[in-house]
Amino acid sequence: MRKKQMIAMLLAGGQGSRLGLLTKVMAKPAVPFGGRYRIIDFPLSNCTNSGIDTVGVLTQYQPLELNSYIGSGQPWDLDLSGGGVFVLPPYVRGKEGQWYSGTANAIYQNLAFIEQYDPEYVLILSGDHIYKMDYSKMLADHIKNEADITIAVRPVPWEVAPAFGIMNTDESGRITEFEEKPAKPKSNLASMGVYIFTWTMLKKYLVEDNANPNSKNDFGKNIIPNMLGDGRKLYAHAFKSYWKDVGTIESLWEAHMDLLKNPPEFDLDDHRWSIYARSPIMPPHFIGENASVENSLITEGCEVYGNVKGSVLFAGVSVAPGAVVEDSVVMPGCTIEAGAVVRRAIVAEGSTICEGAVVGEETGLIALVGQATVLPAGYKVKAGEQVDNDTLKEAL
Amino acid sequence: MKDVMGILYTSRSELSLRELTANRSVAALPVAARYRLVDFLLSSLVNSGVRNVGVMMQGNYHSLMDHLETGKAWDLHTRNNGLFILPPRVGEGANGYVGVMDALRANLEYLRRSKQEFVLLMGGRMVFNTCFNDMFKQHIENNADVTVMYTKYDPITFDYSSSSRDPRAFVNVNDEGVVTDMEINPNAASYSNILMDVVLMKRTLLMHLADQAFSHGLHDMNRDILQEYVKSGMMRVMGYPFNGYCRRIETIKSYYRMNMDLLDANVRKELFSVNPVFTKTRDDAPAKYLPGAKVTNSLIADGCVIEGTVENCVLFRGTHIARGAHIKGSIIMQDGDVGAGVELENVILDKDVTILSGGRLISEKQYPIVIGKNVTL
Repeated sequence: MRKKQMIAMLLAGGQGSRLGLLTKVMAKPAVPFGGRYRIIDFPLSNCTNSGIDTVGVLTQYQPLELNSYIGSGQPWDLDLSGGGVFVLPPYVRGKEGQWYSGTANAIYQNLAFIEQYDPEYVLILSGDHIYKMDYSKMLADHIKNEADITIAVRPVPWEVAPAFGIMNTDESGRITEFEEKPAKPKSNLASMGVYIFTWTMLKKYLVEDNANPNSKNDFGKNIIPNMLGDGRKLYAHAFKSYWKDVGTIESLWEAHMDLLKNPPEFDLDDHRWSIYARSPIMPPHFIGENASVENSLITEGCEVYGNVKGSVLFAGVSVAPGAVVEDSVVMPGCTIEAGAVVRRAIVAEGSTICEGAVVGEETGLIALVGQATVLPAGYKVKAGEQVDNDTLKEAL
Repeated sequence: MKDVMGILYTSRSELSLRELTANRSVAALPVAARYRLVDFLLSSLVNSGVRNVGVMMQGNYHSLMDHLETGKAWDLHTRNNGLFILPPRVGEGANGYVGVMDALRANLEYLRRSKQEFVLLMGGRMVFNTCFNDMFKQHIENNADVTVMYTKYDPITFDYSSSSRDPRAFVNVNDEGVVTDMEINPNAASYSNILMDVVLMKRTLLMHLADQAFSHGLHDMNRDILQEYVKSGMMRVMGYPFNGYCRRIETIKSYYRMNMDLLDANVRKELFSVNPVFTKTRDDAPAKYLPGAKVTNSLIADGCVIEGTVENCVLFRGTHIARGAHIKGSIIMQDGDVGAGVELENVILDKDVTILSGGRLISEKQYPIVIGKNVTL
């Protein structure tokens, strides 16, 4: 195997339970985003655009959707013979089998995979965030500082800082203190869950961590505090561009609204940093005779005959005459029938909103219709409510 | 259909297609907001299970090569079989083949090396979406030597040009499906069945015909070969009818009309819902409708940014329609830029055309204005 300077390991096994019904049948990184993407397209495209050609994707929860989506890695130019993208689920050794017990354990169980490439550095990523980042700049920092680990950080508003892993640094950017969710933060630099490790150091700490039966096998809780305690060189790499954790229905909806601002807070139409995605193989979209579409993103395969405003329509969505979609996110293959109203809502893949049904309200929390739901004619989903076929069956 | 290979004959530029084919073959013509004409042919082959496809190039073939790449988009980037780009050789087609038989003769080696027993020979100017499985079945069950695909002709949808390089052939097919007569480029055709440039036969037969044609100085498959065999009855030439949407792109009018046909839901269904149509992906973001956009009855690709008014149009990937622009009945190819306040009606803009603010181009549906590639007005 050709030696690599740096390979990436992408933690994609999380359920994303705060996304409720949206992640009932798929892992969070597989959740659709931005019209033609899924969340995992962002870290994968960042890798390709940063010149990283070897990526291990660690899956565990509901991996089917993710496995078939990643496939051979062709959309991201990661279908290579000397590298590429590899899906790495937990596996059985001898008579033992073990699930990934934590983020660090997931990497530990794949030490053999990393060793094949004999890398100097390993980039650890999560599949939870929307951002465009050049990891090669972070690596340059890491090398310049002769660091053992470099942690990407970004300033967050002080009032939300207690919800994050907070880094306190000296003037040179060296991390002096790391506090996981501190009540009284001393800094507002939050960890983005993006780490570059010097490989030999990562390996040493993973092996030690695995030998400790009391460890939670977690980067934030164990590996980083241990390294800090041993006086290793931990550096922060500041990232100031758009970065959004889309871990809740509200934040997922907000991130979509960010795309619609003029100019957008996060620009998908960026030819210098394209986000790649598996093509849905659909014809261009069609806007009908009496349709109106304003301030929206519309993807291929859509057929719009109704009124769409302030919304993102994913591939293959059809909006019937007289239907209204406002301030909403409608995921691939949904049908909004005549007279239906979707307002401040997320409608997940393959759902049908039957005639005259109403999803969401003009104010209040975001409503959610789960995957492949058939919402009966005239049914009303209140603000903040989540429904799918199972909850509908129970309600009847 | 794994025992069938495909071979495409791509035509050179056409006077009747004006600037649109100045630098590309007819098969490379951008159509339907995100495709090139060849996508429909390749997708039909791949959807039928054909795994070995050769594309015979001539003239200005760089845009076609750039589009086909390694055949990835059609899953033809395989180790065995896959996509074979067959460029012309010096002296044999660099300036263009006289006819399809010359192209086949120049590529006999590829035909010889291929392993499939049968070959589907296709022209590069028809738009349709189908699977060839039934045609293949009919061919086998009827012990045909050659099967040709035909469709119903009507003079309005099949607008033609007398300067076209590829002769049009009309056939009479009897109740058993046997072709009993063939007319080439008639002024007034006796039959309403027009051939679709889809011909099925054994690979070894095609190789033999190509060699024979060369040694007898013959160039065209229909006029010089099939017509003779039909007349003499020496070969069993059968017809297979196609009833779906099919257009032959020969003139600006037929090109314009084919694109506008896609504003009809039934045509979209026939061209896109039967089987998927594959094309090279470009990784554009979804189309963006800004405040003030007014779009009706239009087919629009990803990557467009629309602030103006768009009626009855086909917009290719990456088109920008600025605020206050008003475009009607027009086709704007990839990365077109229509400035503020511009008025366009019945216009075809080739790729990368910029119309600066305040410009005005109005034409008739019967004779759309064509603005060539990379022009700024």
